[in-house]
Amino acid sequence: MNSALKKRIGNVLSWVMTFLLMLVICVPGLWVVLTAFRPNSEVLAKPAVWIPQNFNLNNFAKIFGFGAEQVAIPVPAYFTNSLIIALTSTAIALLIGMSGGYAFARYRFRFKNGLFLGLMLSRTVPGIALSLPVFMIWSRIGLIDAKLGLIIVYVALNVPFTVWLIDGFFRQIPKEMSEAAQVDGCTRWEAFWKIEFPLAKSGIASAGIFAFLTSWNEYALASQLTRSTDSKTLPVGLMDFTAQFTIDWAGMSAMAVIIIIPALVLTFLVQKHLIAGLTFGGVKG
Amino acid sequence: MSNIAKGVPFWRKEQFTPFILLSPAILTLMFVVLLPLLFSLYTSFTGYRLIRPESLYDWVGFRNYERIFSNKNFWIAFGRTILFLTIALNVEFILGLGIALLINRITWGQRTLRTFMMFPMMFSPILVGYQFKFIFNDNIGILNNALQALGLSDGAIPWLVDKYLAMFSILFAEIWMSTSVFAILLLAGLFAMPRDPLEAAKVDGCNAWQVFRHITLPFIMPFAFIAMTIRSLDVARAYDIVDVMTGGGPAGRTELLWTLIARVGYDNSRMGQANAMAYVSILLSILFTYYFFTKLLAARKYMGGAE
Amino acid sequence: MIRKVLKNLTIATALPLLFVGGVVAEDIDYGKFDDYTLRVKLIGGAQYEPLYAEIEKWEAMTGAKVDVLSRKNHFELDREIKQDIAAGTLDWCVGSNHTSFAPQYGSIYIDLNGVIPEATLAEFQELALKNSTVDGRLVQLPRHSDISNLYYKKSLYADQANKDNFKAKHGYDLTPPETWAQFKDQAIFFADAPTFYGTQYVGKDEAITGRFYELLVAEGGQLFDENWNPTFNSEAGVRAVQWFKDLYDAKAVPAGVLNYLWDDTGLGFASGTVALNLDWAGWASFFNDPENSKVAGDIGLVRAPVGSGGKRSGWSGSHTFSITETCDNKEAAASFISFLTSHERQMVEATKGLLPTRAKVWDDAKAEFAGAGNDFMVNVFETYAVSMTEDAFTPPLITPWIEVSNELWPRLQAAILGEMTPQEALDEAAAETKIIMEDAGYN
Repeated sequence: MNSALKKRIGNVLSWVMTFLLMLVICVPGLWVVLTAFRPNSEVLAKPAVWIPQNFNLNNFAKIFGFGAEQVAIPVPAYFTNSLIIALTSTAIALLIGMSGGYAFARYRFRFKNGLFLGLMLSRTVPGIALSLPVFMIWSRIGLIDAKLGLIIVYVALNVPFTVWLIDGFFRQIPKEMSEAAQVDGCTRWEAFWKIEFPLAKSGIASAGIFAFLTSWNEYALASQLTRSTDSKTLPVGLMDFTAQFTIDWAGMSAMAVIIIIPALVLTFLVQKHLIAGLTFGGVKG
Repeated sequence: MSNIAKGVPFWRKEQFTPFILLSPAILTLMFVVLLPLLFSLYTSFTGYRLIRPESLYDWVGFRNYERIFSNKNFWIAFGRTILFLTIALNVEFILGLGIALLINRITWGQRTLRTFMMFPMMFSPILVGYQFKFIFNDNIGILNNALQALGLSDGAIPWLVDKYLAMFSILFAEIWMSTSVFAILLLAGLFAMPRDPLEAAKVDGCNAWQVFRHITLPFIMPFAFIAMTIRSLDVARAYDIVDVMTGGGPAGRTELLWTLIARVGYDNSRMGQANAMAYVSILLSILFTYYFFTKLLAARKYMGGAE
Repeated sequence: MIRKVLKNLTIATALPLLFVGGVVAEDIDYGKFDDYTLRVKLIGGAQYEPLYAEIEKWEAMTGAKVDVLSRKNHFELDREIKQDIAAGTLDWCVGSNHTSFAPQYGSIYIDLNGVIPEATLAEFQELALKNSTVDGRLVQLPRHSDISNLYYKKSLYADQANKDNFKAKHGYDLTPPETWAQFKDQAIFFADAPTFYGTQYVGKDEAITGRFYELLVAEGGQLFDENWNPTFNSEAGVRAVQWFKDLYDAKAVPAGVLNYLWDDTGLGFASGTVALNLDWAGWASFFNDPENSKVAGDIGLVRAPVGSGGKRSGWSGSHTFSITETCDNKEAAASFISFLTSHERQMVEATKGLLPTRAKVWDDAKAEFAGAGNDFMVNVFETYAVSMTEDAFTPPLITPWIEVSNELWPRLQAAILGEMTPQEALDEAAAETKIIMEDAGYN
């Protein structure tokens, strides 16, 4: 009975702890979401208004330039830029990563470990440190304020991690499978697409998510390399907004919600792959 | 094309294939990382000022490095960055471990919990920074409002201004954002753990702590190193958070190397000097990553994976 | 490249469309720039937006389109423009500018003498134009001027209990502050953190540098001597820093004040939780508008206080517009900035309280307020008119002003927070400033 009681207490305790943890994880985000639908007068009120009285879409209408007030933050343009840049750079990074990951998983060659380490280390260069020289070079070759300029940078940013994850996945697939296919008359190329690619799909999907999130959320480089609506992304747009209206918290929150929604949707769509991808790709590799 | 006559062209030979497969990756990184780094190495020896393009050719030798090494503020920021990284990574590890163990215990609703746990991973560091700037705001922040409403505090606590609280606030934001990476990886480690040694240990009369210390922990350590490596790859994303929350201020109280670099380079337009600082920060990042990476490789061998 | 070609093509083909489209009645002919897109970078913030709502009219009259590339506070805008200079991305035409910031941009902006007709220029205030001139070139067209005076919550001063308590404590009558010392006394007296504050000040960037600078002058100090050696680490300088620090230590200002910029202080006063607010005229109508402001109808205004040096603080300057040297259609750009600084547009801004740079708008705006029975705004215009003529002074219009400011303000913060003594902070800033001035060739 003593031990049964202990177990019960333990269970209750772990539930309470979990609940508190979830609270800490969720409340900050939820508060921002809530704020996005409230008027500033209520957000800034003293003493605080805890139970929202006014719920409306005015902040969003304002940002998108409907409604009476003129707040021309070109969110639609930023949104499109973000989407184009994040998707394109993810696709390219995946192609390059698959090719590189396959090489690491399937071949023995000189400098293999050195190359792998070099690849990883290239990712550790802090974005802000990289932004200084990239800014200077890009400005000389006309890649400043161009989507292409940002896409190239994001591809490079994502390649190392993509290679790492995908390498791990290819390693799990027994070599014999593709060899058997080649005996049956497939070329190595065909064997790759028919046998290995489908098996490594979840690894590729999770690498893709990571690449997308990195590109979608990146700020340090984007803030320097973009200049106008031609290329500015949503995180830069949010910072612009805060620099224009230093105290419009409701508007900023609405902008924040606009940034988070696509990331949330996409991540939940493939979240099953995400955990598998992280663990197997990383460990077994 | 003429090569075909001689038989297999060199680019189809087996020993070149991996290099050809790797070449897009290598070329991209050379163009976007290596080349700029060489360029910035050069400029760190010049007096390059952003608004005076001709100063790019103004060679000053080691003056930038001498200046920053003798600069008190630089060393303070350097020390603070290391402190920041050490505290953040350790707390993230311990919290992540705690969360993983907790969730591993719970059987009902575990999937949902796991999903919630991944929530912060999707947040842009900019958003995390903004969100906590809002929460920690001394005047309208939800935290101060809550404390005042509950009667726990009668003053406006200056979360983003006070010497210690400001550091605490940016650390909190950073830890909030990144703990889930640890939690997920460690949870995966716990899932993958074989049951037999645990049962055997219990039969042998080990208590819960002994089981954890001698069986569970060693088993999940490699997972911890993966998490550390992944984290150290992009730990500099903390720049975004700090930039939004405090901008390194007030009075440089939350100045990290990264915010200092941005200020010197872009605000004061002393690119040469900023690049010299950037080099120090790059070396620091590489050191951190290299350390965890060697640990990871060792752990992989221990796990019996291919090398 | 391609875009440019396309642009030229569209301009060529658009000619037949010249006189189509609704034309708004206006005396001045702003020209025709059909299908031309004018790229601009403007200062953003609550007080600047009403003018931008007028842009539509210019678009309708000229057939051009305005593409606002950025709209940020001036400190962020300054950072962006410097990066544009470095990257060679000055592919825009009109930028917001400020008399204090203009000297550092070198020759990226054109001389407006000859571009804007002399007759038009003659309608502007002479001093505003003089301050807009750098090395003999008129690099900017003044939009409105800024100088700060002291707003206060009237009811606090009418309250008998306040009067008695204050007199008992400080030995003089509670009337709106005439000196900076009284300003401090009263701010501390009224404060009741965290629900009510005595005053607020802007706590970062060039904003606090400017406040420090005007207080320094009021205390009898100067930033530089005649050879451009920094002299602000004087006793007057220490007194100035001490003023900020005393208020901070007494919790008479919000603890987060070091992160505040102009919108924060203005909206703070409008929220009714602040007793005194040294601010520019741009907020006046906002403060007195019951829809936005809890202090509407309860606002008094006096001239900025006198320092111990016997001088009133009067840090002043003008917000302006400039045209880039690289602009691909300077004619359209000139039309645009003429439009934004025209009599009608200045009247729009003046009714909000922004101080016009055209002499005639001062009178017309005041007459309009008087006609509408708006005594408050008449008072605002009269008070600011006096301070503009008697108290106004600009910071040194030197190239490295912002760089000097960047050395100063973090150290002002450090002194306010008690990380260093005011003397240490100013000494350190002065040493750095000396290097900057030498590097820039000033001595």
